[in-house]
Amino acid sequence: MRRLLLTAGMVLTTSLGVLTAPPALAQKIFKIGNLSPLSGPGAAFGIGIQHGAEMAAEDIGVFQVAGERYKIEVLPYDTVYDPAKTVAALNRALYSDDIKYGFILGAGVHGAILPIIRQSRFFDMFLGAAGKSVTNAENPTVFRFMASSDQLYSTFTAALYQKLGVKRVAFLGPNDDLGKSDVRTLRELIGTLKGQAEFVGEDYFERGAKDFGAPLLRLLALKPDAIDTDAAPTGTVALIAKQARELGYEGYFFSSTAVLEAKPIVDIAGKGADKVIAYRVWSKPPTPLYEQLAERHQKKYGEPALGTVWEAYGATRWVVEAIQKAGTFDTIKVADTLAASSFAGHPFGPASWGAEKTYGARRQIQTPLPASIIRDGKWEPLDVRVGTME
Amino acid sequence: MNAARLVVALVLALLPLLTPTYAQHVAIVVLINAAYTVGVYFMLRMGYLTLGHAGYIALGAYTAALVSTRLGWSPWIGIALAPLVAGAAGWGLGSLTMRLRGIYFSLSVFAFGEIVNATFRAVPALGGPAGVAGLPRPAFAGIALESHLAYYYLVLAAALACGTFLYRLQGTRFGFALLTLRTADEERLAQSIGIDTPRYKAWAFAACCAAAGLMGAVHAHYLRFVGPSIFTFLYSTDLVVFAMVGGLGSFAGPLIGAAVLTALGEQLFSVGYYKSLVYAVILIAIILALPGGLLSLPQRLRRAR
Amino acid sequence: MTAALLAQGLVIGLVNGILYVLVALGLTLIYGIVHIVNFAHGEVYMLGAMGIYVLHVAAGWPLPLAMAAVLAASWAAGVAVERAFFRPLRGQWLQLVVASVGISLIAQSLSWVIFGAQEKYVPSYLPGVVQAFGVRIQLERLLAAGVALALVAGLYALVHRTRLGMAMRAIEEDEETARMLGVDSDRVASTTVGLGFLLAALGGALVAPIYSINPGMGLETILMSFIIVIIGGLGSITGTVLAGLLIGILQSIGALAFGAEAATILVFGAMIVVLILRPQGLMGRA
Repeated sequence: MRRLLLTAGMVLTTSLGVLTAPPALAQKIFKIGNLSPLSGPGAAFGIGIQHGAEMAAEDIGVFQVAGERYKIEVLPYDTVYDPAKTVAALNRALYSDDIKYGFILGAGVHGAILPIIRQSRFFDMFLGAAGKSVTNAENPTVFRFMASSDQLYSTFTAALYQKLGVKRVAFLGPNDDLGKSDVRTLRELIGTLKGQAEFVGEDYFERGAKDFGAPLLRLLALKPDAIDTDAAPTGTVALIAKQARELGYEGYFFSSTAVLEAKPIVDIAGKGADKVIAYRVWSKPPTPLYEQLAERHQKKYGEPALGTVWEAYGATRWVVEAIQKAGTFDTIKVADTLAASSFAGHPFGPASWGAEKTYGARRQIQTPLPASIIRDGKWEPLDVRVGTME
Repeated sequence: MNAARLVVALVLALLPLLTPTYAQHVAIVVLINAAYTVGVYFMLRMGYLTLGHAGYIALGAYTAALVSTRLGWSPWIGIALAPLVAGAAGWGLGSLTMRLRGIYFSLSVFAFGEIVNATFRAVPALGGPAGVAGLPRPAFAGIALESHLAYYYLVLAAALACGTFLYRLQGTRFGFALLTLRTADEERLAQSIGIDTPRYKAWAFAACCAAAGLMGAVHAHYLRFVGPSIFTFLYSTDLVVFAMVGGLGSFAGPLIGAAVLTALGEQLFSVGYYKSLVYAVILIAIILALPGGLLSLPQRLRRAR
Repeated sequence: MTAALLAQGLVIGLVNGILYVLVALGLTLIYGIVHIVNFAHGEVYMLGAMGIYVLHVAAGWPLPLAMAAVLAASWAAGVAVERAFFRPLRGQWLQLVVASVGISLIAQSLSWVIFGAQEKYVPSYLPGVVQAFGVRIQLERLLAAGVALALVAGLYALVHRTRLGMAMRAIEEDEETARMLGVDSDRVASTTVGLGFLLAALGGALVAPIYSINPGMGLETILMSFIIVIIGGLGSITGTVLAGLLIGILQSIGALAFGAEAATILVFGAMIVVLILRPQGLMGRA
């Protein structure tokens, strides 16, 4: 009797797997996966990617490759910014849903999936801040479609410190690989500034932490006039700003996160939100396309567009253009075609690839980049430069 | 009986050959969870609710991960060491806490699980928050078990090993003695006739933890990755839910609970929090309406007729 | 670590500690009297905070009304949960624990679905900072701590000076005898659980403006509550208070000296040590 139940159980299970496996891929759909956080603290990133890619799909409509016509579908896979869930999502996308192209968000999750990507040659449209560890010669199908922290630092830091009169810089970043490597980059960069500014100290917080009293107390004792919060998300920056101001800090905050909204920071830190500087926030639209997309997003989705929307739009259009040029969906061929091309249709402006010397492969996007600062509770432009890296 | 066994054997051995890759993935995860749940069930039989099973799984998984990546040894060594590490930890904690009853024991295992995770997250040499990636697949007869299908057989072997070990253990005199420990009174009675109950309990716990460690190592090599976000309190509670939903009447209970709920969970994957919600609702429904678990369903239906 | 830093850490630790105590008290009360470990306690705390956000920030109710509504709702929820789940399962400790775990999962998952993942903010009840002897502390934290302290005192008075409290203590000692002597143990049970839920929700409502609110915030709180209740002694109010303050300080100083993760390990380790050396806790009865 018990054995029968056991048998039944196992048969049931495997049949569940068989019966629910999806039907053969319809030939006319080009699926792009969106493997990013769609719930939890990083949800703004993932939802932005979804919307940006969808708008690009609308604009592309039906495209031709090797005589066949294709329509684009953007399929979401919630990774909750967790490496284990990203592994599961990638497995599902690759083996269950037959997907070979996708956005994967987050440097922190890439450690786990790079072996899978290398083996399966999945085309990774990577959005995340980390540098050489992800985009390098060993991962030909991984392209970073946004500025890396290295690129931001080397493009802006010296100029901004001079403009604002920053002399003592502290770093308060997430306690993970990203934070640990970014602090090194920042420290080295400040070292090359020859006395213009000084790196006074570093400290870390756990992702998801709410109380920064301990690291702030330690750092503020070193009297910095600027605190770099690396790629901490909006909520975290808001709490850090509030608590730092409560402890008497009056200096600047720098943030290199992909989506930084002013409202939550102002809501929670009030006047304390002033002097927060974000690298990726456009307070003035760089191109007409950027502005059109912003309006379209508001109309179509009922909420303002943020950060990753434009990056995902640009990435989708460029990759499809490369696929058409290459005449195939083979990810290695498309990768070569893409890396050799430049693109005029990116919402930020003219785009090309770079960082061959620094990273070992041409896989880092180069576009005009902004820096903005909060004054009186609103974003104001601070600087615009073209991100380049050798 | 033998015909049934043959059917089971054939199904387990051959069905994966006919199914798509994703179904093989589901089958692997089902077997892994089933093996874990059997350990949880074993403890429940003794009257102990382990809310920190994931901690011992993690010990086994990280052993395999660190041995194969940091030391560069063959994965088989890691898989062999894992149960020893987890079992030793289980024996250690068991000796210390098994004299605690009920909720105190549960909370101490829970605390231990949290400490294990926090330690792995805090110490960079042990992987830190990003975990340990790039685990190689073990090789059998010179061929690495790269594909889902090939790895399925390793998982099957390990799961059968764990399950059979604990099942046989249950049938020994030792195993029967464990049944006498469900309440404090029963335990005192057992002690009065000479059964060294604290030692028995520690060894029983060690056995369950060793099985968890072994399966954890196999699990780690399947994912090719371990991290502090996988073997959490939530995972431990999932295992308890599997055991309770399946039913505590016999060994088939945890297997059924794990199989049904894991397969269900994989299908609900893209829906995020809905999986936990569905698990929890099923659990409450079972507790209130069908306390014997799914195992008791046939009896209930017969009686209702 | 300078003396100033130490002083700051101590003060923050005390303030955090008393807030932990508020939530942990509900847990110890429920366990002491109804012998149930309420795993859903963290979710009640979270819903208290979420309730303030929904009523006061999103719907615009004045703060006192929102508070009152949250407190009334949590009390009612406690009574309902006791009647629907705890009472029918009385005596089956395994099913009770697992059921409360199930309730907590349901509450959390539903909250993620209903409220979404975006962090929510409640404007400060009392903005501003006060500084004394080189120690800075936010006024809103002092307020929360003050209210918590008052409630702890109130609870102590309730348990030791009122008839209800006497009934609770009687049931805690020996339920059979208490019933025989005419104590309505069913009503005391639902009152206790209602009170426990109310304390947790109030804790959440007080803490709401200090950080941000999201459906997952209950997990850390319930971990802390368990640790405190175990160290102090399941069922002892004095023990919970002492342990709560101790843990608050230990965590705060530990984080300052060694970092947040190390502080967590320290705190969990303390719990295991107590469990092994004195399982009934500092002030619990064997």
